[in-house]
Amino acid sequence: MELCYPDRDLTREILRCFGASGWQPDEASSRLLRQAETLLRSAATPRGIWRELPLTALEVDTCGDDLARHLHGCDRCVLMAVTLGSGADTLMRRLELTDIALAAAVDATASAVIEQLCDELEARIRREVQASGRYLTGRYSPGYGDCPLALQDDLCLMLDTVRGIGCSVTPEHLLTPRKSVTAILGTADHPVTGARAGCAHCLLRNKCAYRKRGTTCEN
Amino acid sequence: MKIEEVFSRQRFILMDGAMGTQLQRRGLTPEQKPELAAFSMPETLTAIHRDYARAGADLLLANTFGANPRKLAGTGYTVEQVIEASVRCARAAAEETGALVALDIGPIGELLAPAGTLAFEDACSQFAAMVRAGAAAGADLVFIETMTDLYELKAAILAAKENSDLPVFTSMSFEPRGRTFTGCTVESYGITAAGLGADAVGINCSLGPREILPFAQRLCRVVPAGMPVFVKPNAGLPNPDGSYNIGPAGFAAQMAAYLPTGVSMLGGCCGTDPQFIAGLKKLTAGKAPAAKVPVIRSRLCTPVRCVEVNGITVVGERINPTGKKRLQQALREGDGAYACTQAVAQAEAGAEVLDVNAGLPDIDEPATLEMLVRELQSVTDLPLQLDSSNRDALARALRIYNGKPIVNSVNGEQKVLDSILPLCKKYGAAVVGLTLDERGIPKTVEGRLEIARRIVAATDAIGIPREDVYIDCLTLTVSAEQSAAAQTLEALTRCKRELGVRTVLGVSNISFGLPCRGYINTAFLTLAMQAGLDLAIMNPNTPEMMAAVRAYRVLTSQDEKCNDYVAAYANLQVQTQQVTKTDAAAPAAAQGTDPLYDAVRRGLKKEARAAAQQALATREPLDLVNVTLIPALDAVGDGFEKGTLFLPQLLQSATAAQAAFEEIKAALAASGSKGESKGRIVIATVKGDVHDIGKNIVRVILENYGYDVLDLGRDVPPERVVEAVRKTGAPLVGLSALMTTTVPSMQATIEALHAARLPCKVMVGGAVLTADYAEQIGADFYARDAKASADYAKTIFG
Repeated sequence: MELCYPDRDLTREILRCFGASGWQPDEASSRLLRQAETLLRSAATPRGIWRELPLTALEVDTCGDDLARHLHGCDRCVLMAVTLGSGADTLMRRLELTDIALAAAVDATASAVIEQLCDELEARIRREVQASGRYLTGRYSPGYGDCPLALQDDLCLMLDTVRGIGCSVTPEHLLTPRKSVTAILGTADHPVTGARAGCAHCLLRNKCAYRKRGTTCEN
Repeated sequence: MKIEEVFSRQRFILMDGAMGTQLQRRGLTPEQKPELAAFSMPETLTAIHRDYARAGADLLLANTFGANPRKLAGTGYTVEQVIEASVRCARAAAEETGALVALDIGPIGELLAPAGTLAFEDACSQFAAMVRAGAAAGADLVFIETMTDLYELKAAILAAKENSDLPVFTSMSFEPRGRTFTGCTVESYGITAAGLGADAVGINCSLGPREILPFAQRLCRVVPAGMPVFVKPNAGLPNPDGSYNIGPAGFAAQMAAYLPTGVSMLGGCCGTDPQFIAGLKKLTAGKAPAAKVPVIRSRLCTPVRCVEVNGITVVGERINPTGKKRLQQALREGDGAYACTQAVAQAEAGAEVLDVNAGLPDIDEPATLEMLVRELQSVTDLPLQLDSSNRDALARALRIYNGKPIVNSVNGEQKVLDSILPLCKKYGAAVVGLTLDERGIPKTVEGRLEIARRIVAATDAIGIPREDVYIDCLTLTVSAEQSAAAQTLEALTRCKRELGVRTVLGVSNISFGLPCRGYINTAFLTLAMQAGLDLAIMNPNTPEMMAAVRAYRVLTSQDEKCNDYVAAYANLQVQTQQVTKTDAAAPAAAQGTDPLYDAVRRGLKKEARAAAQQALATREPLDLVNVTLIPALDAVGDGFEKGTLFLPQLLQSATAAQAAFEEIKAALAASGSKGESKGRIVIATVKGDVHDIGKNIVRVILENYGYDVLDLGRDVPPERVVEAVRKTGAPLVGLSALMTTTVPSMQATIEALHAARLPCKVMVGGAVLTADYAEQIGADFYARDAKASADYAKTIFG
């Protein structure tokens, strides 16, 4: 389905994706971000898809300990995928050639936008699943903790993302268009919270700029 | 039934409905692969086909949609086995009614480069394997469907045509706004598929009959009159639970709207079943398809842009190395990025088509033209004019071009026509014909017309329609032969009137050898437009020529309400002052401040470019680099390291410096010197990785520091890195990989460099890398950011 390009002001998130968390941008940078936002808004064609399945449809036991812990107590799951579409990729490819600052600004904006779209789709799923009297964990994406990116192949296959939203996986398990996300949420007939991977299992734990400052990427 | 009935369009031909949902309804579990139904549930599969045939389907699609090598990998079955068994099931069901059986081909399930990593030729060979197997299994035709990427569709059509004699039907899926997921328009689809030799075209999936109707009508208008058009819509739109919102009766009611449109084949896609087809049977009983009236136009396209050549159309001439030192240098180095920046600039200036020429005596023209087309089509949506007389170069460029291009050119020589026209026909390209032959350029109007007639006879004979033929009556230099201009214009008018072709001229030739060439060019262009010129090959960066084009469109009522003219000029004031050359020298910079240093520090791109232009009038290029640019970049880099400046600011400074650098490089190229390179660095994003913004940032920073960077792009296999290092002797290589899954290919690249015993250092970077990890995979240096890569380069090159 088509998703609406978010209206919320994402400056804070965009700056975080731009490696400038918490910075008050100068005038030139603000202009740059505004320009990036206008370009991305007209180039992006956001789409999303989701589906609820029995957990047995996934081979969760081969996907690491973190995902298993996250889905503990769940008997079903919701798979979801979101993409900004190939127009965003084309825009970035063109800008990377002519204006690397603008390209990076669009890239950061796109990252923040897709995160926001995931939040919005997750909220929608949550409402529908809860209306049916069931409970959900938070969303968990391949690549978090020790969960392999290869899981994306299965998620895309089961969601039929190629036909549904025009998103596919490369042999190295990367999503194309580049600004795409897949995720999985556990569902159960009793309250579940899930367990985010956290820093202990994160690949970036030894080089993370947030941890060096004593915070995490979640806040 | 015989396939000829499809093409005679005497009655409506019915196709089948959904397969996947039917299989699920009859027992296929989520764990079972639908591609293997011919083995896991052959009786059921045959029964589904039989139900469709009995409901009235004249054409059954074998269950081969996903029977491609990629999807069958690991199933234990080969493409040949699956296709043979699936076609056999369909054939068994078809025997009862005499229905035709099609080899069904769906998308491979992976995006082609540049959007993904699948190479065009790999896609061709996957489809080729399916087509050969389908032909051997006795399929009656090839049905390529549910495509959303025009490039993948092209690969499939070529594979079908090159590996069988079967008729080829093609179908794409459109979203509510009339574009596919990859942005392809209905028009681009129709003209490209028809040009590549598809025998019937249609639209399927994604939407219901009501939503597809306007797109099907547009499709009918752009394909030739004799070509059947079909639709296979879904059963309406999907409900939240995955079912569809209309039943057989509602479907038939909506499909009734297609009867008078010219569409001659009907079927169903997701959510439909045999009852839907039975409904179509009833709907179409005793009725005949309406006549289909195409709107004949001259069109060129890329997937996302279809250009109708209807009135004056500007072809940008700047990607042609003749007389352009900077482009020559880039092409010799195998660097496509410079041409890409020229493409973007011309598009912004108003070009609608881009001429691409790679003709330099000392380079491999076929390889270079192919590289240019590949690079250009990844950054511009303008159609390309492939400008070469080298058959091999044209063959390679036409094969990988995504859309419908124009070939420049053939001429009246029989051997040229015989060699180039078959290529244009095969790849569905329009063609430019020059009115000259082995005897040269005829002086008279009649002589040129005679050659034009010969060219048109040849294009007619091979089946290239007149609307795709552009005759060039040749612009001669007016200072050498003053009466020639009038001859050219008269020949142009007569060609257009008498032969029904389009016309084209390289406008700027007219003024060769004269001062202030823009004046002559503009006047000639205006006369030519009035004489009926369609394609003007010219420099769109010349303001007065673009102004003549825009003004002409206003005066001939092509620019309705002067909208485009006003949009282009509302905020401009025309400077009429003529500048003598001696005045052109810039005033010296104000005492005490260096405007270039300041512009780079503050990240102001336009100002930096202007300051560099000014400074070059009085200072040496290298002095500018060493005394101004590098210290400015160092200052910004230091601020970034200390945390007083942030990445957005660093990048804006880099962009400003890059703009200044382009000016410096142009000045160096013009003076014939290559400049004093600080050293050569090869960089690449490794095989399998498509995230290359990090690598591109590094490229800009390294170039700003004066290094010669050969950027191999993304998804680069180890052998290409080795070859580039060997060829250039670069002492430093930079590799980038963003994801855990592509770090192994970084390691493989480093190992390949070591195995080749190349004495280069390797620096690596990317989100998941650390210094330890870098050491572990054999890298010499871990660059945590772009600044660090420049610092490391300094230690290597001193």
